[in-house]
Amino acid sequence: MNPVDLIQVLVSGVALGGVYTLIGKGMFITYRTTQTLNFGQGDLLAVAAYLALTLATAGAPAPVVLVGSVAAVALLGMVVERVAVRPFQDRPHAAGALAWILTTFGFGLILQNMLVSVWGKSKQYSPPLFSTKADSLVTLAEVRFYREELAVALASLVIVGLFYLALFRSRWGKQVAAVAFDKATSALLGIDVKRTVVSSYVLMAMLAAISGVLIGPIVTIQPHIGLLFLVKGFAVVSVGGFTNPIGVLVAGIAFGVVEGFANYFDSLFGDLYAYVFVFFILIFRPTGLFGERHQGVR
Amino acid sequence: MKIVLAAMAIFIAAFSLDNHYPLLIGQNIFLLAIVAIGLNVLFGWSGQLSIGHAGFLALGAYVSALLALKLKLPLLIGIGAGVMMASAAGLVLGLVALRAKSHYLAMITLAFGVIVEILVQRWVGLTGGSMGLIGVPRLNFGDPARGTQWMFIVTGLAWLAIQAANNRLSVSRIGWGLRAIKESEPAALAVGIDVRVWKAAVFVASAALAGLSGALFAHQSGYVSSDAFGLDKSVSLLIAVVIGGLGLRYGAILGACFVVLIEQALASRFEVSGYLYGGALLAVMLYLPVGLAGLADSLARRRAVRSVDGARSQDVMWSDRDGPPAGSLLLETRQLGKSYEGVVALENVNLRVVAGTVHAVIGPNGAGKSTLVNLLSGMDAPSQGETLYRGQDLAAVPPHRRTRLGMVRTFQNLQLVNELSVIENVMLGLAPPAFGLRGLAAEFGDQLRESRRQHAAAVLRFVEIADLADRKVADLAYGHRKLCELARAIAQSPTLMLLDEPIAGLNEHEAAIVALILRKLKARGATLILIEHNMPFVMAISDRITVLNYGRVIADDEPAVIQRNPAVVAAYLGGAVDTAVP
Repeated sequence: MNPVDLIQVLVSGVALGGVYTLIGKGMFITYRTTQTLNFGQGDLLAVAAYLALTLATAGAPAPVVLVGSVAAVALLGMVVERVAVRPFQDRPHAAGALAWILTTFGFGLILQNMLVSVWGKSKQYSPPLFSTKADSLVTLAEVRFYREELAVALASLVIVGLFYLALFRSRWGKQVAAVAFDKATSALLGIDVKRTVVSSYVLMAMLAAISGVLIGPIVTIQPHIGLLFLVKGFAVVSVGGFTNPIGVLVAGIAFGVVEGFANYFDSLFGDLYAYVFVFFILIFRPTGLFGERHQGVR
Repeated sequence: MKIVLAAMAIFIAAFSLDNHYPLLIGQNIFLLAIVAIGLNVLFGWSGQLSIGHAGFLALGAYVSALLALKLKLPLLIGIGAGVMMASAAGLVLGLVALRAKSHYLAMITLAFGVIVEILVQRWVGLTGGSMGLIGVPRLNFGDPARGTQWMFIVTGLAWLAIQAANNRLSVSRIGWGLRAIKESEPAALAVGIDVRVWKAAVFVASAALAGLSGALFAHQSGYVSSDAFGLDKSVSLLIAVVIGGLGLRYGAILGACFVVLIEQALASRFEVSGYLYGGALLAVMLYLPVGLAGLADSLARRRAVRSVDGARSQDVMWSDRDGPPAGSLLLETRQLGKSYEGVVALENVNLRVVAGTVHAVIGPNGAGKSTLVNLLSGMDAPSQGETLYRGQDLAAVPPHRRTRLGMVRTFQNLQLVNELSVIENVMLGLAPPAFGLRGLAAEFGDQLRESRRQHAAAVLRFVEIADLADRKVADLAYGHRKLCELARAIAQSPTLMLLDEPIAGLNEHEAAIVALILRKLKARGATLILIEHNMPFVMAISDRITVLNYGRVIADDEPAVIQRNPAVVAAYLGGAVDTAVP
C-alpha cells in the first residue's frame, strides 16, 4: 500500500466515520430521553438519501436538497415516536420492556418497502452535493482527494460540534438532562416532558437525514442500506461512550478508517469485518456505554 | 392421548392427500413452528430478544447438507451435527447474553445474523452462495416416490414432540423460572434460580431447535441457498412469534401458519413483504399484544379456575430443615460495610442474630436497612467486612445458593411474576427436584406438579389467600400481592427469613394476618430478620432490635431498652428532644 493510497483510504474512512458518529448521536439523544433507540434509524437515513437523490437530480441547489430532505425525515421522526415508541412507554406489555425494538424495527421495514416501491431495488448513485462532478479532486501537498469526501468529513465534524453546543450550552440541553434523570420531577419543575421527548426524536431523525444526504454521493444507495448504518452507528456509540464528547467522535472515525482498510485489503469480505468488530466490541464493552445508572433492589 | 391422536392425524393426512402442494405447505409450517417455539421460549418466556435467529437455521442447514453431500454421511448424523453446531453458536451467544442485555443483546444477535448471512453468501466454494447447493440427499427413507409424505411425517412428528414438551415445561418450574427471569431477576434469584446458567441454557435450547429446523430444511427439497437465511428470515420468525402470541403455548404454531400462508399468497408480489411484516409488527404490538393464541384463549375462556382443596393439614407446607438449635448463633456480620461511589451506605455493622428469634432492624429512611438486606441476601456485594451464616463465610456464595442454604428474603418493592397466577408464584418457591436428568424428567411428570400444588395450596391457606390461588398476580390488590410474596418465601421453608417491610402499605386486617403468620413461623423454629417502620408492631414481635442511623449501628438491645434509648429517640424524631427550637 503506497502512502497516497493510505491517505486516501484515511480520508474516506474519516468521512464515513463522521457519518457513523452522527447516527450514534441520534441514538444517544433518544436513549437519554426515553431509554429507547430507533431500530429503524438507518432507514430514515436511506429515505433522506433517496429524497436528496431525487431533488439533486431534478437540479435543486444543495441548500434546498438538504433542507427539503431533512424536513421531510424530521416529520417521520415525529411519526416514529408517536406510533412506535410512546404507546409502549411505562406500560406493561407481553414483549416485556422490549416492545419498542420490534415496533421501531417494523416501522423501518415499512420505510424500506416504500423505497423499493418508489425507487426500485437497484443500486443508484446520487449526484455530488459539494462539487460539480463525482470525481472532482482536490490536490493538497501532492495528494489528491475526492472533494466530496473531504467535504463530508468536514461537514459531519461541524454538525457534531453544533450538537454538543446544543446539548451542553442550551436550555434544551438542560431539559434533556432533567428528563433523562427523572420524568416526573421534570414535569413538576415545569418542563414539558412530552415535547422534550418528541424533540429528541426529531433531532435523531434530522441527524439521520443529514447523514443520508451526506453519504448519498459517496456510496451506492439501495433500499436496504439502512441496516448497515444502524449496526455501525450502534457500535460506535457503544465503543465511544456518551459521557465523553471526544470518545464517540474518535470511535466513529476509527471505525470508518478500520473499515476503509478492511475493504481495501479484502474486497470480498470487507464489510464482514465491521460486523465482527461490532460483535466483539459489544461482548467486551456491553454496558455502561450509555452511562446507565445502577439501581439497587429494594 | 391427545398426542397419539395428533400423531395419527399427521399420518392420515400424509397418506390421504395425493396432492403434494398442501403437504409441502404443511412441512413449511412445521419447520417454521419448530424454530418459532424455540424463539418463543427465548423471547416470550425469558425475555431475551434475538433478531438474528436465521443464523442458527443456516448453521444447522449447511452443516447437515455438507456432511451428507460431501462426506456422504448418513442423514441422521448430519442432522445431529447441524443441531450441535447451532447449539454451540447458541452457547456463545448465551454467554454473551450474560453480559449484554436488552437492546445490546438485540444488536449483537442482529450482528450475528448478518455475519452468518455474509459468510454463507460469499463463501461460495463451500456453500454455493446464492446459487446454492444442489443435490443434497433428501429425507425419504429410501422411498423417493413418497418423499413428500415422509418429510411431512418427520417434520410433523418433530413439531408434535417439541410442542408437547413445550406445553409441559410451560407449566413447570422451568417455565415459571424463565418468566421470573424476564420480569424480575431478583425474584428469580430469591427462589434459588441460577439466572446466569438458565439464561445461557435457554439460548442453547433455542438455537438447537433452530438448528434442527434448518437441518431438516436442508433435506426437504435437496436444495439449500443462502437466500433462505437472510435478515428477512429472522424477521419473519419474530413476526410468527409475535403474531402467534408471545409466551403462549400455541403461539408459535398459529404464527407459523399465518406467516407461511401469507408468504404463499404473496409469492408473486414479493415487494410488499416489508409493508406486511412491518405493518403486522406495529399493529399486533399496538392492538393485539397477546397475539392470535391470546385472542383464541380469551374467546374460549378456557382458563377454568381450579379450586385448591388438597390436604387440610398445614404440616404439608413445612418441610423441616435440620435447623440450628434455638439459642445458637445463626448469622453474624463483622465490620460489614458498603459504599456506592464514595457514598457510605453502611459502615462497621456487627450484627448477631440468634436462632429462633425475631431480630428487628430499624432506623430512619436512608439509614441503610435495605442495603443491609441486599448484602445479607447476596444481591449486592459488601465493600468491606464479612458475613457468617452458621459459621460459613458467605463471601463466595451467590444469592441463589444462599436461598438454598435456607436464607430467604422478601422485597420492599414486591418482586413477583405478574403474568403468572398466585399459586404458580408460590410453587416457584418450592424446592427444585434433584439436579440433572432425573429432575428434568420429574418436571415433565404429573406427580411432582400435583404434590407441588398441594404444598402451595397449604401455604396459601396459611396466609389466608387460598381463594385467590388461580388469579393472576397482576390482577391482585397490593395487600394480597404482599401476602403472595410472603407465601412464596414460606414455601421455601426458610431457616432465616429476611423481611423487608412486611406490613408497609397493608391495612390493619392484613397487618394482623402478617403478625400472626410471623408468630407462627417463629413458633416453628424459623429465625426472622425484620425491617419495619411500624413501631408498635416491631416492639410487640421482636426479641432484639438493632437501630441503624446513617449507616451505623447506634443501638442494639431488647425492645424495652431500645424504647428508652435517647439516641434512638433523637434519630427517629429528627433532632435531639432536649434542644428543642426556642
